[in-house]
Amino acid sequence: MRLSNQSLQQYRRLWWFASRGLAAAALVLLITAILTAPSGLQNLFNGLAVGSVYAIFALGYTLIFSILRIINFTHGAIFTLGAYFTYFLTGASVGFNGLLANQRLPFGLPFPIAMIGGGLLAGLCGILIERVAFRPLRNKGADPLLTLVSSLGVAVAIVNVIQLLVGAEIYSYPRNPFGEMPAALNLGTFGGLSQRPVVIRTIQVIIFAVSMATVVLLTYFVNGTKIGKALRAVAEDATTSSLLGINTNFLISLTFFISGLIGGIAGTLVGLSVNVSGPYFGINFGLKGLAVIVLGGLGDIPGAVVGGLVIGVAEAFVPSEHVAYKEAIAFAVLFLVLLLRPQGLLGRAAVQKV
Amino acid sequence: MEGFLSTYGSAIVQMALAGVLALSLYLPLMAGQLSLASPGFYAVGGYVAALLSTRVFTGFPNGSYPILLIALEMVVAGGVSALFALIIGIPSLRLRGVYLALATIAFVEVLRVFALNQPWLGGAVGIYNIPQPFFSATRVEYLLLALPLLLVSTLFVARLERSRIGRAFVALREDELAASAMGIRPTYYKVLAFTIGAVLAGMTGALNAHILNTWNPRQGTFDLAILILAYVLVGGSRTFLGPVIGGAFLVALPEIILREVADAPGLHPAIATFLRDGRLILFGVLIAVSVFFFPYGLVTPNLFKRRRKTNVPRLEAAKAAPKVSRG
Amino acid sequence: MSGVSLPKRLMVFALVALLALAPSVLLVQAAEEPIVIGVAVAQTSNVALFGQEQVIGAQIAEEFFNERGGINGRPFRLAFADTGGDEAGAINAFQTLINRENVVGILGPTLSQHAFAADPIADQAGVPVIAPSNTARGIPQIGRFIFRVSAPVSLVAPSAVKQALKMNPDIKRVAVFYAQNDAFSVSETGTFQQTVKDLGLELLDVQTFQTTDTDFTTQITNVLPLEPQLVIISGLAADSGNLVRQLRELGYKGMIVGGNGLNTTNIFPVCQALCDGILVAQAYSYQYDSEINNAFREIYKAKQGKEPPQFSAQAFTGIQVFVEALSRLDKRKPLKDMDLVTLRAELRDEIMNGKYDTPLGPISFVETTKDDGTPAGGEIVQERFYVAQIKMDPDGKTGRFVFLD
Repeated sequence: MRLSNQSLQQYRRLWWFASRGLAAAALVLLITAILTAPSGLQNLFNGLAVGSVYAIFALGYTLIFSILRIINFTHGAIFTLGAYFTYFLTGASVGFNGLLANQRLPFGLPFPIAMIGGGLLAGLCGILIERVAFRPLRNKGADPLLTLVSSLGVAVAIVNVIQLLVGAEIYSYPRNPFGEMPAALNLGTFGGLSQRPVVIRTIQVIIFAVSMATVVLLTYFVNGTKIGKALRAVAEDATTSSLLGINTNFLISLTFFISGLIGGIAGTLVGLSVNVSGPYFGINFGLKGLAVIVLGGLGDIPGAVVGGLVIGVAEAFVPSEHVAYKEAIAFAVLFLVLLLRPQGLLGRAAVQKV
Repeated sequence: MEGFLSTYGSAIVQMALAGVLALSLYLPLMAGQLSLASPGFYAVGGYVAALLSTRVFTGFPNGSYPILLIALEMVVAGGVSALFALIIGIPSLRLRGVYLALATIAFVEVLRVFALNQPWLGGAVGIYNIPQPFFSATRVEYLLLALPLLLVSTLFVARLERSRIGRAFVALREDELAASAMGIRPTYYKVLAFTIGAVLAGMTGALNAHILNTWNPRQGTFDLAILILAYVLVGGSRTFLGPVIGGAFLVALPEIILREVADAPGLHPAIATFLRDGRLILFGVLIAVSVFFFPYGLVTPNLFKRRRKTNVPRLEAAKAAPKVSRG
Repeated sequence: MSGVSLPKRLMVFALVALLALAPSVLLVQAAEEPIVIGVAVAQTSNVALFGQEQVIGAQIAEEFFNERGGINGRPFRLAFADTGGDEAGAINAFQTLINRENVVGILGPTLSQHAFAADPIADQAGVPVIAPSNTARGIPQIGRFIFRVSAPVSLVAPSAVKQALKMNPDIKRVAVFYAQNDAFSVSETGTFQQTVKDLGLELLDVQTFQTTDTDFTTQITNVLPLEPQLVIISGLAADSGNLVRQLRELGYKGMIVGGNGLNTTNIFPVCQALCDGILVAQAYSYQYDSEINNAFREIYKAKQGKEPPQFSAQAFTGIQVFVEALSRLDKRKPLKDMDLVTLRAELRDEIMNGKYDTPLGPISFVETTKDDGTPAGGEIVQERFYVAQIKMDPDGKTGRFVFLD
């Protein structure tokens, strides 16, 4: 594989054109498919709706990766915790199982405030988790891979604590927590070949909007603020930045707090859409979430949203007679994308050091 | 002792198998590859054994299924897994770190969904009534098969570690560029490590299909992948003994150790109840604590020497930035 | 000791005497040491939703039958072992109960897949097993010692579809949804689809999902344009509840028939007011009017504040079968004269030969055979099945199953 400099450049140029060409062709095909298929637009909206759930799960996940370069397995558990916190802050009572059976808080908050409260509590849990599962290992200079195991351990513990305290039953929020709203929006029938009315559930529109707003805010926070700049410095080189007077530990705690806050609110919103199905509620999104952040380019914040939407839309376009293979297709797409573009969709290729 | 064996027979057998599974993940890791494909090969191996023993080698009354046939199934399962490993490994092993981990998990998930949709694999119910070689209510007799599998695998990996091939693996892990400059072909050795690991996982699956008496798509999933990774990292990823000890320990912890502690006489009833109901909470906490106190695993190569922290090279696998070579 | 006054000495003496006597008191009880029945269900993992309902049902049975004198005056005790969510865990739980707790029989496990792994262990050890919730094909055929009190759905499902037709004879167009990764739902949907064909209805589409799925928009929007008049769902509580909710939210107005997985008040919080009107095929109805069911229902409601679900009722029934079979056996051959191996073997035959008046209605068992003709375990013979319609209260939080006939 020794190429001369010139042929190397030619090869690169060729690759550049080939990959862009392929991507453009795929996009054109996709758009044609969406506009001509009988339920193309509907599928697109379905995909965006499901994808934004993946995205909103992945945002907090990817934030930690972008700063610390580690995978935080507790994110699914935080997501679950946020959903449960909100539930109890609204003043609703625990179910009939678990040690806390039939207990309730002496007060009840309006839902939107409870949701933010749930997010804040989840953020505090994030800080706590960082202190017990991540910081000790970081201070020891241990292999970053080990945080995978320590965070796995903490996640297992959290899930089982939840079950011990409040049982495994399904918890659900009150209907219409944000005031009277229709359950679904009918976007009307569109022209062309798509002759069917396009409908979408209101809560999915909310989740989509919140994940878009979050990604904008988060991107601004990381790229446009002073703290964000310091965060990126920590991400680049924690030792040097602490030498430069940046309080590394504080910033990392802050990262975990924000990640937990986003995760907790995301848990609540997804819980509104599909109910809190038990202690494994968030853990069940873990694998898909991992796929999403890798697809988007690890640690890339807009990439997490793009990755989520791509997987959501890809799943939605699986023909109904093959819907049984839906899960497999998402992962097959991931596998192919990884082979063709190992740095993910929006990730930048790191140059091999020589 | 007899009561102990009959109570925990199955758990003890699973301890041995966990060791083999951990070795199957340890091998690619030796060559610097964080592959989580082991559960996929484990699932394939289980289905191979389930199909062979229920469809092909039929006609043996229950309790008299020949052990030799199980050995044969394990060989076939190992072969089929090796084939899968070559097909998956050659394209995907140019990926690094988390990207490789995800690609291999994608393989595991695709296999699971495929099995779920195949009527000839039994769909969600899977294949059941897998014939038994032993007339017994405990599964402890399976140690006759599981222990040799563990011993042979362990000795094999131990030998491999000291051989030229093993040193090539380690060279790749420490510095791929330097290794290839020294004439070590990265792709060849990476695929080799990956394939040997696949064979071990496939054979484990084949044996476990008999032990469990049934095989279905819930065997060999993402959860197992993470668990096996924990076996290796808790046990220690720098010597073959680490994964073996780690696997045995993490299986024994919730199933034997914590149960026994909860049943210990003289315990305050409240504590005993918590130990019983909160078994998995403690399991999680102990995993987290163990990596804190033993960051290099329970077993390290120089267990009896004091070592300097700075001398320990970090695992390449965890480095996030993918290194893509295009030229 | 000289400083200790006499009354204190007396007290010490009394104490010592008491301590010395205590063991002999215990010894008297040892002859009447409780019989142990094992319960191996999923108390952890993501199957725990069902496992915890089974635990409650079994505990109520323990309390209830012990109050009524246990086994001819001798109390019994339940020993619980958590199977967790996988096959190896189920095997470990069974082995612990059989060898450590020396149980006479086992109630469990929660999932059919786990039964295929763990039941052979009990069968080989000669320990009777009663499955409270395994509905897959081939469960009693695992071995002679395996019974179930969970009726295979082929009997229940058709009546719900017929009920829908009775309520709306214009129904022609039917769509079917089922959870593809759940053994129970797969076999149930087979029965439903066959019924649809047998009744001459048009099967528009069959959509699959996973029990772990939460969003069903894609499947629903695939089906809605075909304008179905009846939707039939086979799944578990959380997923089916979400499916119903999303069907209604996306504008489906027709009838919904739910399989046995929807026969639980657990779906009320999931689809809330939108649950209203679902027809559910039931193997258990809490409204079944009999002495034993009314008693069970009262205790359950007092403890849990809601109507008992099927999983709890079936677990209760399983323990009841053990207790009644043991009592009959004891009258014939006193239990205390038998060693454990004989007791377990005799118990197996006694279970098979009995008739039981349970919360599920009158049940008995019929002996099955394996493929090769050798005798196997007992399949439930259940006389009553039900079709109920869900009626939600105006607040959307509480509701009930209204029994139809």
